[in-house]
Amino acid sequence: MNEQALITDAQQGNLDAFNTLVLHYQGGVFNTALRILGDEDQAADASQEAFISAFKSISSFRGGSFKAWLMRTVTNACYDELRRQKRRPTTPLEPDTDDGEEMDSPRWLADPNMTPEQKNEADELEHAIQHCLNNLPLEFKTVVVMADLQGMDYAEVATAMRVPLGTIKSRLARARLRLRECLQGFTELLRASYRLEGGHAAQ
Amino acid sequence: MNQRDLEILSSYLDGQLTPSDSARLEARLKSDPELVSVLDDLRAARTLLRKLPQRRAPRNFTLTRKMVGLNPPLPRAYPAFRFVTTIATLLFFFTFGVNTLAPQFAQAPAFGIGGGNEAESFVAQAPAATEPPAIAESAATEAPATEATASDLLPLPTAMPPSEDSARVLGTPTTKAGAAGNADDSNQSLAGSDASPQEGAPFIPSVWQILFAVIAIAGAVFMALMRRSSINRWK
Repeated sequence: MNEQALITDAQQGNLDAFNTLVLHYQGGVFNTALRILGDEDQAADASQEAFISAFKSISSFRGGSFKAWLMRTVTNACYDELRRQKRRPTTPLEPDTDDGEEMDSPRWLADPNMTPEQKNEADELEHAIQHCLNNLPLEFKTVVVMADLQGMDYAEVATAMRVPLGTIKSRLARARLRLRECLQGFTELLRASYRLEGGHAAQ
Repeated sequence: MNQRDLEILSSYLDGQLTPSDSARLEARLKSDPELVSVLDDLRAARTLLRKLPQRRAPRNFTLTRKMVGLNPPLPRAYPAFRFVTTIATLLFFFTFGVNTLAPQFAQAPAFGIGGGNEAESFVAQAPAATEPPAIAESAATEAPATEATASDLLPLPTAMPPSEDSARVLGTPTTKAGAAGNADDSNQSLAGSDASPQEGAPFIPSVWQILFAVIAIAGAVFMALMRRSSINRWK
């Protein structure tokens, strides 16, 4: 995929070229929105809004990291969604289990190749991390999602958030420390992950 | 442990320190177990975050032209057609309005002016005022349609005998009577053999109205065809 050529075509109004970019980046955009908002439907709506907004304003893209530019668009869409939620709070609908109880974490997108134990463990890990992410201040959450979940480097995150590099470093360090403290409350649930982590810590 | 050390440790994890800063930190780590503990905490948090599975997007977020409000590119002649059609439509309605309202304005002074006496005096004066025979003749020859209109109006007085009506009107000087008297007046004046052929004739010739209507309809049809053809080509 020649990203630069696609961007140039999209800037001239070529929707097909832009849709090729959408297909390439939609996973990252959706997961970023999902981790910031913590709700799949809202994340899907925010992602769609972000792509519409990105197409309409793509002429303002002046080079650099397209991913960072796109991430700024999606974080703006997420902030808009959060502001909307504040104005009109809603109760999220959780899927019910067979015995009528609400599940803590939706499972319908789980990998079908996983064993039931692996699925359970993945769900618990995801739930724990999402819970701790939700407890972070928004600007900390956004930085940690971009840097650690999307693998963006500091410069890209700084571009996406329009803040100095030093601020990104500071927010990321504090966010990681807070997450660690929060996740310690899930030690029992995450014992397998912690064991795995022992090997990394020794590196 | 201060904020600066925390940032350095986090940047060290991500390989964002310069080689000299890294070497300095590694020397400190050998002698400071608290730094090592915080570094382990940061690494543990980062590892867990990176273990978080990437969800598959529930649907494709590709955009349609409707979503972004894109319209098909129209031919260059389209704006010209639109302009001509708009002007023709406006002119059609203008001429239609003028032709509809002009006779009413022409009759307006007779309404509500007074009672039957005035109406009667108007009847008496009407032939003289509207009847220069030469003009009437020339107008009749120039506009045959007006003659037909005048002749169409001629039977009216026979349906309502002027003598009875004027007698009744003279006794009741009300607005209604005035209006009735006025209608009678016009009938009488027309029946008075030499009515002006310009009365009842369209202020703007009908041929112009037809022309504007045809241009407006044809323009609209052409525009619709152009638009449909552009949409088909766009798909």
